[in-house]
Amino acid sequence: MKINLRKSIAIGASLALTAGLSLVGNVAAQAAPLTPTAAQLAAWKGKEITYYFYQDSAAELDTTKKQIADFEKLTGAKVKLDVIPFTSLDTQLQARIAGGNTPDVARLNNPGFYHNVALPLEQYLGRNYVKEFLKGSTTQVTHPTTKKLVGVPYDLTINGPFINLDLFEKAGVPVPTSWTWPELIATAKKVQAANKSEYAFAIDKSGHRVSTAMSHMGAYMVDSKQRNVLRTSPFRAEKAIKMITDLYVADLAPRDLWIGTGTRYSSPTAVFLSGQLPVFFSGNWNVAGLSEGASAAKFRFAAVPNPSGLNGGGWPGGKFLMAFSASKTPDLAAFFVRFLANTEQMEEMCKAAFWMPTRGDLSESGINYPKRASDMKVFLADSAKTPSAAYGIQSVPTLTGPIYNKLRDLMTDVMAGKMTVKELVQTQITFIDQQLATLKK
Amino acid sequence: MSSSVETPVNRRRHKNWRRRLTPYLFLAPNLLIFLTFIIWPALRGFYISFFDSIDGSNFEYVGTENYKAIFGDPTVAIIARNTAIFVVFYMVFSTLLSLTFAIILNEQRFGRGFFRAIVFLPVMLSPVVVGLIWNDFLDRKVGPLNAMLEAIGGGSPGWLVEPALGMTAAVFVGIWVHLGFYTIILLAGLQGIDRSLFEAAAIDGATRWQVIRQITLPLLKPTTLIIIILSTIHGFQSFDFIYTLTGGGPLGATTLIVQYIYERAFQSPIQYGLGSAAGVILFLIIFAFTALNFLVGRRRDAV
Repeated sequence: MKINLRKSIAIGASLALTAGLSLVGNVAAQAAPLTPTAAQLAAWKGKEITYYFYQDSAAELDTTKKQIADFEKLTGAKVKLDVIPFTSLDTQLQARIAGGNTPDVARLNNPGFYHNVALPLEQYLGRNYVKEFLKGSTTQVTHPTTKKLVGVPYDLTINGPFINLDLFEKAGVPVPTSWTWPELIATAKKVQAANKSEYAFAIDKSGHRVSTAMSHMGAYMVDSKQRNVLRTSPFRAEKAIKMITDLYVADLAPRDLWIGTGTRYSSPTAVFLSGQLPVFFSGNWNVAGLSEGASAAKFRFAAVPNPSGLNGGGWPGGKFLMAFSASKTPDLAAFFVRFLANTEQMEEMCKAAFWMPTRGDLSESGINYPKRASDMKVFLADSAKTPSAAYGIQSVPTLTGPIYNKLRDLMTDVMAGKMTVKELVQTQITFIDQQLATLKK
Repeated sequence: MSSSVETPVNRRRHKNWRRRLTPYLFLAPNLLIFLTFIIWPALRGFYISFFDSIDGSNFEYVGTENYKAIFGDPTVAIIARNTAIFVVFYMVFSTLLSLTFAIILNEQRFGRGFFRAIVFLPVMLSPVVVGLIWNDFLDRKVGPLNAMLEAIGGGSPGWLVEPALGMTAAVFVGIWVHLGFYTIILLAGLQGIDRSLFEAAAIDGATRWQVIRQITLPLLKPTTLIIIILSTIHGFQSFDFIYTLTGGGPLGATTLIVQYIYERAFQSPIQYGLGSAAGVILFLIIFAFTALNFLVGRRRDAV
């Protein structure tokens, strides 16, 4: 099924910082042919670069290995693939950079941490290279002071719910095509009761994911002008957060996974794959992994639209590629970034691992997802509905991690009865103020 | 010129010099590794504790600000209390249980090798894996332990969601991981005790408890002191299995000082100087406790 991405991803992403601009106008012509010159081939022959990589699914790793083999064939260079667990992605990379063992290229979740050690790509790939990508999608890889492109958006992500179709069917509950949060919760409870499943609902232990519900209620933490906007509508945030923490307090969601993992990230993916969870709130990056797991576990699942309230849509995120200035062969590292993010390779990855592309040309042409096309259609539709305010927090790329993590940790306190939701929101407002103040130093 | 003349005195001196040097040459490779990977980073950590750095490349001198920040941080008092509770329970129960196991295993005649292997087995597992396995095992709703407890009407305790139970679980798993190591050390100590003392006690009609109390324990005191010191150090250093077991939760109840160091140094917002300062404080605490244990042990021996 061919899905036209232009109207969905492009609208959502571009709304962030380019309201009013037409995406088509920002998309450059096709990239120049990816063929190294004879001089480059001579210089790169036998050279080795390290690619620091994490995977959300086996399909991503398999495709990456294949693409590396193609790259090695094309350039005569070698690529050492370092596969890192997502949970220690930043910890290990920061330690490696501090220890003088910086990889040449990395796939990242929080590129803002690395702006100052990143390789400016324009000097190797040209000033117009940035135009190959959807404009809003490059915000987090644009250096805040030099305004240079220091990485590329590798895929777009959108948060949203998955449901266990078998449990819904057994409960006689139709697959939702649109719903609100109260309806989602009521449905999840109904399906749980009918199936006597362990839980009704679960969400990744992540402030990023919870921000989706806040967005639906009209609450945001930071706007595109780097202002603390949580204080403008605390009651909306309280409503969204309480809705989720109440589910955990009532044991309708896996409290052990949230409270019992301290300051660690945890995902209820395994609970969903055990077939004991009617509704799992995560995002499109899980389509490939869930597809692999659900096939093995022999149950059916589907992505369904985000609930809506004051706003609809999902919550944006993405993965990025970055080359580092410490690379001994910066031109080769930059060329590797370009190779992985070119039209052909990105399309291949999107098809294999259910990614949403960041390239303008692919957004224009659409992706022929060979499997799970209906799920991707749901995420793409939500991407288009995502409000521009949801992109605001991307204006502070170095602070997103601490702000999301603080929200997550405060929710733990609420679930354990140590704090009220009202106190949580006030504490979070103060924390955001403190974080934003560090930007001015 | 005269020094090159091979006189008997010179030969003896040369031989003496070589004899003195030989042990140092044997020690040299290990010392080199120790200096490179322990002493140098420790000194460097102490130095870095006076700087602020968010990336490990650029350092700004801040004097003792990092130390002030640590002592001014209200969470540090909670973490210090958690660490003290953990260390005391871990040290006391590790010592008592390893002594018990060592005495039992020492007297074991049937399946001696098998039981010793069973006790030692957890030591060979990665602490990270141990934490993950016990995390699953102790899950409140789907964990096997609570399934067993429910079957006998014991309810479903929230091992990983109740702060007190979280600490209990962390201490238990810590002991489970290291017990075999301490037991083997004590077993070696037990086997160093002259058997004739036990035979004489048996001839004199001493009960088993009297033998343990009046022969085994007093003669095992130096080894027990080592176990107390080692378990205290391990207690203070505990992190890996706790991080995968509880992540420092529930509600920070099992967040110990090493996790505090780890999170300050390696989690956003990164503060290498603060992490290093906390590391220096941990070193001083461990050093003080070790010295105290050692001195108390020596004084008792002298008495």
